[in-house]
Amino acid sequence: MKYNRILLLTVMLLSLAGLTGGCGFKDIDKRFFVVAIGIDPPAEGAKGYKVTLRLAVPSPKVEPGAAKSRVETIQATTIAEGVRLLKSHVDKELDFGHCKLLLFGEELVKKDFRAPMQWFARRRDIQSVAYVAIGKPDANSILNVEPSSERLPGNAIFLTFGHGGTESSYTLYTYLFDLLRRAGERGLDPILPIMRVENNGYVVTRLGLLDKSKLVTVLNPQETEMFNQIRYEFKKSTVAASFGGQNMVMSVDGISSKTKIVRTNEGYVLRLRLKIKGIFEEAPIGVYDQDWKKLEQTFNAQVEQEAERLLKKVQQAGVDPFGFGLKFRATHAGSEKTWKAWESIYPRLKFDVKANVIIEGSGIIR
Amino acid sequence: MNRYFYYCVTIVSMLNLMMFVPYLLIQDRYTGAISSMLLAALIGTTMAFLFTFVMKAFPGKGVPEIFAMYFPKWVTAPLMFFLGCMYFISASIVLNGFAVLINRFLNPDTSSIVVLSLLSLACVYGATRSTLTNIFIVEMGLILNVPLILMILFKSYRNSNLDWDAMLTIAQYWRNPPKLNSYAAAVYLFTGYSGYAIFNRLNPPNFRLRYRWLIPLVCCFIMVTSFFVPIGFHGTEAVASYLYVWSVTADSMTMEYGFLERVVFIFLLLYLNLSLVYTANVWHIAMEFFKSCLPKAKPQIDPERTPLSNWVIACILGLFTVVTSYLLDEKQDLRLATNWLILRVCVEVISVLFLFVLSIGAGGKKQST
Repeated sequence: MKYNRILLLTVMLLSLAGLTGGCGFKDIDKRFFVVAIGIDPPAEGAKGYKVTLRLAVPSPKVEPGAAKSRVETIQATTIAEGVRLLKSHVDKELDFGHCKLLLFGEELVKKDFRAPMQWFARRRDIQSVAYVAIGKPDANSILNVEPSSERLPGNAIFLTFGHGGTESSYTLYTYLFDLLRRAGERGLDPILPIMRVENNGYVVTRLGLLDKSKLVTVLNPQETEMFNQIRYEFKKSTVAASFGGQNMVMSVDGISSKTKIVRTNEGYVLRLRLKIKGIFEEAPIGVYDQDWKKLEQTFNAQVEQEAERLLKKVQQAGVDPFGFGLKFRATHAGSEKTWKAWESIYPRLKFDVKANVIIEGSGIIR
Repeated sequence: MNRYFYYCVTIVSMLNLMMFVPYLLIQDRYTGAISSMLLAALIGTTMAFLFTFVMKAFPGKGVPEIFAMYFPKWVTAPLMFFLGCMYFISASIVLNGFAVLINRFLNPDTSSIVVLSLLSLACVYGATRSTLTNIFIVEMGLILNVPLILMILFKSYRNSNLDWDAMLTIAQYWRNPPKLNSYAAAVYLFTGYSGYAIFNRLNPPNFRLRYRWLIPLVCCFIMVTSFFVPIGFHGTEAVASYLYVWSVTADSMTMEYGFLERVVFIFLLLYLNLSLVYTANVWHIAMEFFKSCLPKAKPQIDPERTPLSNWVIACILGLFTVVTSYLLDEKQDLRLATNWLILRVCVEVISVLFLFVLSIGAGGKKQST
C-alpha cells in the first residue's frame, strides 16, 4: 500500500513539472504597459483607424515631471491589426492590463463609435473600469501631451477623472462598462466627457451627448454642471444667481433631485424636484442682513430656468442621457408596448421643474 | 452537525453565482425569469425540506445504503452509478468553467487545458480523502472565503453605478409564465442539500436539523443578487451580451483604497478557492456513489488508510473531465450545462419524492415496533 502511495505521488509531482513548463509568463521588465489608447479616423482617403498607444517607460525616479512615456501611432484597416503591427515597432510585449483611458477622436465619434467600442468590450484584458472620453480635436494630440506635473506615466489622466485627485463639477467621467450599458440600453443614452489640451495639461469641462452610434450635441460647462447636479446629485458644485447685476454664488452642501413622470390632461409631464442646500461663497457684504427668503426665491427661479433650458435642449437633440425612458419603463407594466409608448411620449414630454434652494449660512463673514 | 448542512447549502448557491446560472436567467429576463425564480424558490425549498425529512428518517445512512435496504444489488447498482454520474457532471462543469475563466481573466497565456489539469490534480487529491475530512474542507473553505465574498456583494448594492431603474424595469416583467430553462437554472441554487446524500452517513442517530428557515433565506438572497446586480450594472440590454456576467460585474467595481483597485482579481481568487473545495467535495460524493456499486462495498466515513479504489475512481473522474473539456468548445459546454440542468431537475424531483415515500414507510415501521 505504502509503495503505491509513493508511486502515485511521484507521478503526480512529475506531471506537475511538465504542466508548469507550458505557462507562458513574461517578466515585468519585458512588458510595455499601455496607459492610454486613442482611436482616430485615418488620414484623408484611407480606410480603417489611426491607433495611438501611450506606453509607460519604467523609470527609477518618482518625482513631478520625471514620468516618461512613449507614444506610438499607426494606421491600419482594423484596430486589432493596428495593435499587432505596433507590436513589431516595440521591443517589449504590450500589456493592456493597466490601460485606464480609452479615447475616441472627435471626428470618429461624429461618424460612428460602435466598432472601436466593441473592440474594447471584447478584449479580455481591457478593464471595465477604464475611463472613456472624446479627444478634441483628435485623440492623437491628447496622448502626445506629457504634463509637467506628472509623477508616474499617465497618472495625470487618472487623477483628472475619478475621485482620486481633483473633483470638479465640470468633469464627469464614464467607465467603459457604463458606456456599453448606455449604448445598449433602451431609455438611457451614452455620455462622454470631452478632453482637450491647454498649457501642456488636460482640460475636461464639456460633456458630449451621444445617441446609439454618434455624437449629437455638446453641453457647455454650465450645462455640464447642471447635468451633474440633476443626474448624479454632485455635491462639490455651485449654484449662481444674479440680483440686479450683482452675482451671488453658493457652494452646495447637499443636493437631492427627484424625477417623476406623471400623466396629466395635457399629456405626460416630467416633474423634477431639486433641493439644494448650501452656504454663500461669493456675495456682497451685508448679505447676512438681507431677507434670505427673498434671496432663495430668486435662486429658485434662476435654477429652475436653467434646469428647464437644459432639459429642453437635451429633448430637442433627441437623446436621453438622464435615463427618463428607463425610469418610465421601471414604473410601467413590463411589455414592448411600454417602450413603444415612451418613444412617442418623449418628443412631446413637458417639464415641470421646481427648485428649492436653502441658504444655510453666509460663510465666515456677515 | 447542524452547521455542516448549511455549509453545503451555502457553497452550492454561492458558487453558482459565478457559473452558468445567472447567464441563463438573464437570457430569459424578459420572458419569464422572474416567475421562474419565484417558482424555484417555492419548489426548491420544498424539495430541501422533504430531503431533510428523509435524512431524519434514516440517520447515519447515505442514499446508497437506503436503497440497499429495500432493493437487490442489481437494481441499486445501476441507479447509484447514474446518480454518481449526475454529481460528477455538476462538479466537472464548474471546474471546466473556472479553468476557462482563469484563462480569460487571470492568465491568458496559459491554455485552459493546462489550468484545468492542475485544478483537477488538486481536486482528485481532495476527493480521495475521507468523507469526514471532506466536510471539514468545506467548512474551512467557506470560513476563509465567504466573509470577503459577502463584503463584495454588499458593496455592489451600495455602488453608485448600480442603476435601480434597470432592476425595477426587469422586475416589471414578472407576469410572464415561467420557462423550463430558467426554472432549472434557478432551482439549482437550492440544491445544496443534495450533498447530504452521502454526508448523512456522518449524522448521529439522534440528529435533529434546526434553523431550516435558513435554506430559503440564504438561497433567495443569492438568487436575487446573482440575477439583479448584473442588470443594475450593465442595464437591461447590454447585460445579455456578457458571457461571464459576474466576472465583468466584479470588474465594474473598484476599491480604490483596498489592496487591489480592481475587485475582479480578489473575486476570482475567492471563487477559485470555492470551486476547488466544491469540486473536491462533489467528486468525493460521486466517488462514494460509484464505490457503492462495487461488490462488497462497505461505507466508511473515516478509514485509517485511503483505499486504492478511491484513487482509481478519482483519477478516472479527473482524467474524464480533462478529456471532455479538450473535446468540447465553449458553446458546447454551455449547451451541455443547460441540458444537464434540465435533466437534473427531473432526477431531483423523482429521487427526492421516491426517498420521501420510502422514509414515510420507514417512519411507519418504527412506530409499529
